[in-house]
Amino acid sequence: MLEGLFRTTVFRLSLLYAVVFSLVAASALGVLHWATKSELRDQNDARLRLETEVLLERYPDQRIPALLETVRQQNEQDGRNRVFFYRVLGPLEQRLISGALADIPAGPGPGPARTYADMRLGDALGLEPGTLPYDVPVRVLVTDLRGGYRLVVGRDVADQRVVLDHTFQVALVATGVTFLLALLGGGLMGMDVLRRIQGVRRAADDIMAGDLSRRLAVGTRDDEFDQLSVRLNAMLERIEQLMTGLREVTDNVAHDLRSPLTRMRNRLEVTLLEARDQSEYRQVMGDTVDDADQLIRTFNALLAIARAEAGVGLQDSGEVDLATLTEEVAELYEGVAEDKSISLDTRIEPGLRVRGNRQLLAQALTNLLDNAFKYSPAGGRVELRAAADPQGPVLSVSDTGPGIPEAERERVQQRFVRLESSRSTPGSGLGLSLVKAVARLHQATLTLTDAAPGLRAALHFPSLYPPRSTKKNGSASLLRPHQTPNR
Amino acid sequence: MKILVIEDDRDAAAFLSKGLNESGHSVELAYDGEDGLHLASTGSYDVLIVDRMLPCRDGLSVIRALRGTEDRTPALVLSALGEVDDRVTGLAAGGDDYLVKPYAFAELLARLDALVRRSQDAPVENQVRVGDLELDRLTRRVTRDGQRIHLQPREFRLLEYLMRHTGQVVTRTMLLENVWDYHFDPQTNVIDVQISRLRSKIDKDFDRPLLHTVRGAGYRLAELD
Repeated sequence: MLEGLFRTTVFRLSLLYAVVFSLVAASALGVLHWATKSELRDQNDARLRLETEVLLERYPDQRIPALLETVRQQNEQDGRNRVFFYRVLGPLEQRLISGALADIPAGPGPGPARTYADMRLGDALGLEPGTLPYDVPVRVLVTDLRGGYRLVVGRDVADQRVVLDHTFQVALVATGVTFLLALLGGGLMGMDVLRRIQGVRRAADDIMAGDLSRRLAVGTRDDEFDQLSVRLNAMLERIEQLMTGLREVTDNVAHDLRSPLTRMRNRLEVTLLEARDQSEYRQVMGDTVDDADQLIRTFNALLAIARAEAGVGLQDSGEVDLATLTEEVAELYEGVAEDKSISLDTRIEPGLRVRGNRQLLAQALTNLLDNAFKYSPAGGRVELRAAADPQGPVLSVSDTGPGIPEAERERVQQRFVRLESSRSTPGSGLGLSLVKAVARLHQATLTLTDAAPGLRAALHFPSLYPPRSTKKNGSASLLRPHQTPNR
Repeated sequence: MKILVIEDDRDAAAFLSKGLNESGHSVELAYDGEDGLHLASTGSYDVLIVDRMLPCRDGLSVIRALRGTEDRTPALVLSALGEVDDRVTGLAAGGDDYLVKPYAFAELLARLDALVRRSQDAPVENQVRVGDLELDRLTRRVTRDGQRIHLQPREFRLLEYLMRHTGQVVTRTMLLENVWDYHFDPQTNVIDVQISRLRSKIDKDFDRPLLHTVRGAGYRLAELD
């Protein structure tokens, strides 16, 4: 989990942000520290200058002994917690001392030259190294006086140093805390993302292991993860449907192709048991070819259904004029109607357009007509209608046959289902299944209703255009964008 | 006629060869795409039968390679892939016809015949004649023995197709594909009914029938003695 955490995008991003934020915080605090330091120094220098001015003003003629005396008094005055200290260096003394104070060069001109410097108290006062206040940091102003004398005014800045060092430490700690907090936040977010991803991964593993009904958990946040899960679940739903369909096909193939295959095999086997004459062989072989043809037909029908259910066939879809399609199919069946003494009553409204596959639609319609003519008695009547409903085009075929009891209407749309009453008529029980699959592929619905007497099978297509703009002569329709049916 | 069969299933190839021989054709066999392409480009054949899935080089690639060398020998593609889109790619590769396995042998024979005739035929004429039956493509006029016969548009196209293949067997599937452009088989014998209606118009009132049923295969329009 921890190793996984370091690999998450969220964690890497937060690591990057933590570094960036820490740098920003550190530089902001650094600037603050530096500004404070320089402000304090300016103030110190101003105070030192003021102290020096005051001292020198008191002795305008710069009588050194008086100055020395004042300095001595001042030094004694403040007691232990004094901040300022003073020292006057004579020309001789200057030659004897060493250290920071001695390094300050003499002023250039005759006027009083002033030099600011940072040093230790011990250097400024000439204390013995090792004494306690020796290391106290001070800021000094050295003023060159006449006669080689130097006035040194210093200020104890230890307190200020402490404050500055403290703020510096605070800044360091703050930067560190910022970094750690950012890292922690990133870690937590990363863990959350990781947890959800692992939920998805576990679900995917389960599904791959065969549990097709497993779905991804969808939270209540409706965030991008939830939305993704919803879409993926929809996809899984579709896959499960297809798999179920495939399994049904396999089952059905096993069930319905086995018996005719057995029949074929048995027929040939029995024929081979003893020698027979030429004509008998021919007869058996002819029957076998017929059986094989029937098998091939069933097989093709199953494949067509499976493909339509899987959505194959829509890649060569286009706009299909249902009116023309119906007319063509009707014309094909006119002769059949005449042959069977059944009247075919066709009524077609013009300009019915749907998006789809012409072959599949024609096949669906011929299946409906095949059924209608198969079950209508001689002298009966088949009605073929292509009409524009407000909801969209409707294709319907009604017959005057025995119809289908209401309770059975759902069932007959499944593969291989045939009613007991129709066992004697030829057929595979796949016709309506294909119609249903084609309908679904075209987002249409198949309804079976009572035509009193007989059955009315209708395909209700979705409207290709909004009702108002239905064009009888759709030259403008070619300009419309393709509407791919979402399956 | 001389036929090259390129088919990797040796049993199927043997059956094909036997059947075609018995139907009076001479057959050469190739069992993979490379051999097939070699034979096809060196020998001279009237028609090629090419399986789609072959070892070494697939069937469509064989045809494409041949077409690339201006070899126009008609080719019939055999395939276990049957959907419309597969058919379209098959024809786009330069195949002249497409037949899905399993197929009836009679269907194969009829289609081979149609292919070879088509490649040999002179350009389509506007006026065709079989015996005393005449059809004019431009005026869409059909007469027999000078008598005008009135046909529905679809009947006209059906007759036109039959006359273009005069003397050849035309199967129901070929009619559905070429006259109606349907690539599926309706369960009802719609084509038989259409043919019998056409027959009643062109043959009924005349002594010698022109439109014949070929048992187990389809139909043939011909002037038989």
